[in-house]
Amino acid sequence: MGGYGDVKLLNDDGTRLDGRAIDEMRPLTAEVGILPAADGSAIVTHGLNVAIAAVYGPVEAHPRKIQRQDRAVVDVRYNMAPFSTSDRIRPGYNRRSREISKVTAEALESVVLVERFPRAKISVEIEILAAEAGTRCAGITAASLALADAGIPMRDLMVGIASGKVNDIVVLDLDKAEDNYGQADLPVGILPTTGEIAFLQMDGDLSPEEYNTCMEYNFKAAKEIHQIMIDALKAKYNGGA
Amino acid sequence: MNGAAEGAEQRLVTPGEVIGTSLDKRAGIGTLSQGERMIATRLGWVRENNDTISVDPINSRYTPRSGDLVIGVIEAVRNNLWFADVLGPFNGLLPMSLAPWKVEFGAARQFMDVGDVILARVQEVDESHSVVLTMKGVGLRKLKQGIMSSIPMNLVSKFKGENDSNLRTLSLASDCRIIIGENGRIWVDGDATGITMVRKVIELVKSEGHKNTFQQSLSEMIGNTPGGD
Amino acid sequence: MVELVPSLLRQELASLAEADQRIDGRSRWQSRDVTLEVDCLYNGDGSAKVVWGDTIVYAGVKFEVRTPWPDKPNEGSLMCGAELRPIAGRKYEPGPPSPESIELGRVVDRGIRESGCIDLEALCIIPGEKVYGVMIDIHILSDCGNIFDASALAAIAALRTTIVPASNFDIGDDHPLQVSKAPIMCSFTRVGGRYVLDANEEEELGGDERIHITLGDDGHLHSLQKGLKGVFTPAEFTEILDVAQQRCKELRDMVSAKEAN
Repeated sequence: MGGYGDVKLLNDDGTRLDGRAIDEMRPLTAEVGILPAADGSAIVTHGLNVAIAAVYGPVEAHPRKIQRQDRAVVDVRYNMAPFSTSDRIRPGYNRRSREISKVTAEALESVVLVERFPRAKISVEIEILAAEAGTRCAGITAASLALADAGIPMRDLMVGIASGKVNDIVVLDLDKAEDNYGQADLPVGILPTTGEIAFLQMDGDLSPEEYNTCMEYNFKAAKEIHQIMIDALKAKYNGGA
Repeated sequence: MNGAAEGAEQRLVTPGEVIGTSLDKRAGIGTLSQGERMIATRLGWVRENNDTISVDPINSRYTPRSGDLVIGVIEAVRNNLWFADVLGPFNGLLPMSLAPWKVEFGAARQFMDVGDVILARVQEVDESHSVVLTMKGVGLRKLKQGIMSSIPMNLVSKFKGENDSNLRTLSLASDCRIIIGENGRIWVDGDATGITMVRKVIELVKSEGHKNTFQQSLSEMIGNTPGGD
Repeated sequence: MVELVPSLLRQELASLAEADQRIDGRSRWQSRDVTLEVDCLYNGDGSAKVVWGDTIVYAGVKFEVRTPWPDKPNEGSLMCGAELRPIAGRKYEPGPPSPESIELGRVVDRGIRESGCIDLEALCIIPGEKVYGVMIDIHILSDCGNIFDASALAAIAALRTTIVPASNFDIGDDHPLQVSKAPIMCSFTRVGGRYVLDANEEEELGGDERIHITLGDDGHLHSLQKGLKGVFTPAEFTEILDVAQQRCKELRDMVSAKEAN
């Protein structure tokens, strides 16, 4: 976060620069089964973000050193395409992507029934085609849908969403300007049926009360996104048995 | 694994969705008991009988079980055993003691090499999910001619039909021998016209197998009378 | 990424070839259905998405402004690369760029570069000081056969609909990139003993070597590549070049249709 507290990100009437209310989400769409080669796949658009996820597995865990005798490992690769951001990203090793991959994998391992597949690996490939703040959350949502599409057993879906603070006001779902010039960012991965949190990061400056408001907004949005996810999964197959 | 009972509206559920209580029902496949609640763990159709709730998944990767008939492709050869890809998470091991021939140590490659296609059965799956295959059994053999294709394994029952009726009709109509492994691989042997017909049916299964209009479309394509028994 | 080739597949492809048939019912020089979309990536200065059968490829064009290379003070640059990441298929493993992805990027690059469709001197902003670097990135989302033609089509379609973001660099107004031609690639694979156009996934798995031909608007050859193990005769090449002339025209028309909008 830049801590540029003096960049004006809220209009005088309390709405945000793009017209949204402080607790309003950007539009989100989802579709599953879009990649023919993968075991499961999904595309999520959230604002101008476009995240595509593919799942391959369970397969034998290679290399040997990552294999676990008692359960499957979830192996995530989160990657931003070179043309996804306004400044081109050089292809290759990227520390930010590496970190997001790790934390996303650990979140998904909390919800996938990994004990069912000892010594196996479930690969999740997340590709960001367009970025506008909130890509790791869109990636989590897409990954969760792709896992469900692949038939990987999970105890819940996972919803990715973030809230933050701009001009000292807590807002839901930061867009690019708000992420660049705002004061805090709190992305989470929520399990909507149980209300548990499997993914958590935060940077910036939040009082405990502001943190609570962020979480309130996140949970409220998670309900909305969860329904969109359910509709996307069922849309493909309703009318069959 | 065969879909709805006649006329019943089946409920499509998503992972995490509550589908019943675990107080009086047992958790079948695709479900998980969470305290008093029974939740779905897969995207699929709820199936309830007297004592069990389960979910027939829309999508599934093959998980080998003892006794399964499978079509495999040899992936590696050692002195005394072969590794075969059976479309499961792990390769199947075929030891020379379970091959259909008398194989001398070191001579395995003379009988079967990488790329060969086999009809085998799963002998056992141990606790670490290692899969042992056998080719000792009626009809189990190297498949030297014909063609190989595959469908998602959860559509195998639908493809075969009630009491294998679809399979029998298709075999007659195409004048082909057809074997379907539990792992979704299909072997077809016959003349070019027959094989082309079977390939068309396989395409139909892949594109419409999940729909409830599938049996109708299939029957029209192969000339069966819809409605079965 | 060594793939397992079932013996029955090669047998089947051979007998189909003898009967002048293909595994998915197409004729020898028939391509799968191709759809092309342009201007589909928010942050791309140019972009295209190609769905070729079940193969899905994106291409994005991005600009940078930099100092020119010392030996070419009046020229900007053009660079084309491809990423074949594990999302594209089960056979692709994570790790550093594979020889396959490098070959793909370079073959597409040569076809575009050697056609001369981009005037590098026109990319010069201030001689000796400032030039544009044009970067095309190809991203394969699904490899179900013939990623070469799909990638080349996406790349040229993206270029032909690119807007130079001059205003981003305070150089002037945004304007369309001058692309004087539309080089098009056409690929042939030896399947069951003979060359066919546009091999699908199974044909590539059970097939042998491939030849990629890039032709310009006037039917001139701008790049050639033969990949994988195998040999061919001059007569075989003449035959496929003939087919390429016709097919490249069709694909070029597809690009023109998108530019018109």
